[in-house]
Amino acid sequence: WLASSSLFPLSCIHTSTPLQNFGKWEKKNRIVYPPQLPGEPRRPAEIYHCRREIKYSKDKMWYLAKLIKGMSIDQALAQLEFNDKKGAKVIKEVLLEAQEMAVRNHNVEFKSNLHIAESMTGRGRYVKRIRYHGKGMFGIMKIVRCHYFVKLVEGPPPPPEPPRTGFDQAKEYVQQLRSRTLVHTL
Amino acid sequence: ESVLRPAGVAPACLVPVRTKKRFSVPEWARELSPEEKEKRLKSSGTVFPEEHIERTFYLACTADIIDPYVPPEGDARLTSLSKDGLKQKMEKLKQTAASQLALRKIKDHDPDFSTKTFPEKAQEIFIEANNYLANFNKQKLHSLVTERCYPEMVRGNRYKTIRWSFVESLEPPRVVHVRCDSIVNRGNLYGQVTVRMHTRQILAIYDRFGRLMYGGEQAPKDVLEYVVFERYLVNPYGTWRMHGKIVPEWAPPKEPIVK
Repeated sequence: WLASSSLFPLSCIHTSTPLQNFGKWEKKNRIVYPPQLPGEPRRPAEIYHCRREIKYSKDKMWYLAKLIKGMSIDQALAQLEFNDKKGAKVIKEVLLEAQEMAVRNHNVEFKSNLHIAESMTGRGRYVKRIRYHGKGMFGIMKIVRCHYFVKLVEGPPPPPEPPRTGFDQAKEYVQQLRSRTLVHTL
Repeated sequence: ESVLRPAGVAPACLVPVRTKKRFSVPEWARELSPEEKEKRLKSSGTVFPEEHIERTFYLACTADIIDPYVPPEGDARLTSLSKDGLKQKMEKLKQTAASQLALRKIKDHDPDFSTKTFPEKAQEIFIEANNYLANFNKQKLHSLVTERCYPEMVRGNRYKTIRWSFVESLEPPRVVHVRCDSIVNRGNLYGQVTVRMHTRQILAIYDRFGRLMYGGEQAPKDVLEYVVFERYLVNPYGTWRMHGKIVPEWAPPKEPIVK
């Protein structure tokens, strides 16, 4: 049936504006791994979720995404609930949706056993409009939208990396000096 | 006519003076009565036939199992104790009037049908259908399983891997129940045959990430099933296809243990 943007009478080519345009992130939920042998360690479940065309700036959203990266899902939800930004509400909804999807469709046992492996923002479709100033002057304003992507992985959150101290840097420097060799010699 | 021109005065010239005229519609714009309309249409010669855009649909299977067979209590559990009694009961059930009538109707349409050879064929269809489900071959599965059974079998399995294998049959399959019914119109016959199978099977379902969800590959389970096969009798090219399973009340499906 005719669900494409270009309505040719004979051909029905799906161009990029039908009802549900599946981007790459949504398709990541469709890969099926072959069954594991009984001796292998259990593969952790990965759930990809995203929300498109959120009416918010991608730069402002980035701060929230960076806040959440690496936290467990309960901690992330708690932080977002008491954050004053507009994007925090949206991201919270997205995380709750993803959690429910995980439990229902992807065979995740405990809903708190998830942590956020990746959380990113992307630029949505911008629209230009006229902003009216005084004295007949005008400016062109951009109506800005963003996408938000999140990847939940089963298991406790990985421990944070210890920050690089001067001692580590010194050790590496000494290692570099020691691994020098002489070339083109006897 | 008008007040300004009395009737006796002869018209000097036909000057279109704006006089107050009573509203009169010209002849060609007048509303016609329906008979006059018909006359005019017929005279012009255009005929518009009534177009009913009908969509035909084809029912290849019934929506549900007609008169579901009620298996006797403790069917597979007491075989060692009262084997003969159960066998007799089974035979009696087979000879119930309705089953015999339906059997006769089926033999009218399909003379090759017999209750002795059919169970083997039925078991073969069952095994093949389950194998195709494990490999997920849509086309062949559709030819072996009716449209009512297909979504039941396939729901939720798109992103899962299923491994199924048939080890052996513990008892020879037997026809237990026959029914014949027509839907929508009289004479639109569908035949349904219930076959009792006691078999040993291995089932293992893996989820999207390859982790074992249900069952196990090393543990064969004994399964007693009442499988219903259906065929569209009036269609000369119809085939017997799996239509559904009957779950007895004394053995409801237990909650599967998720690993």
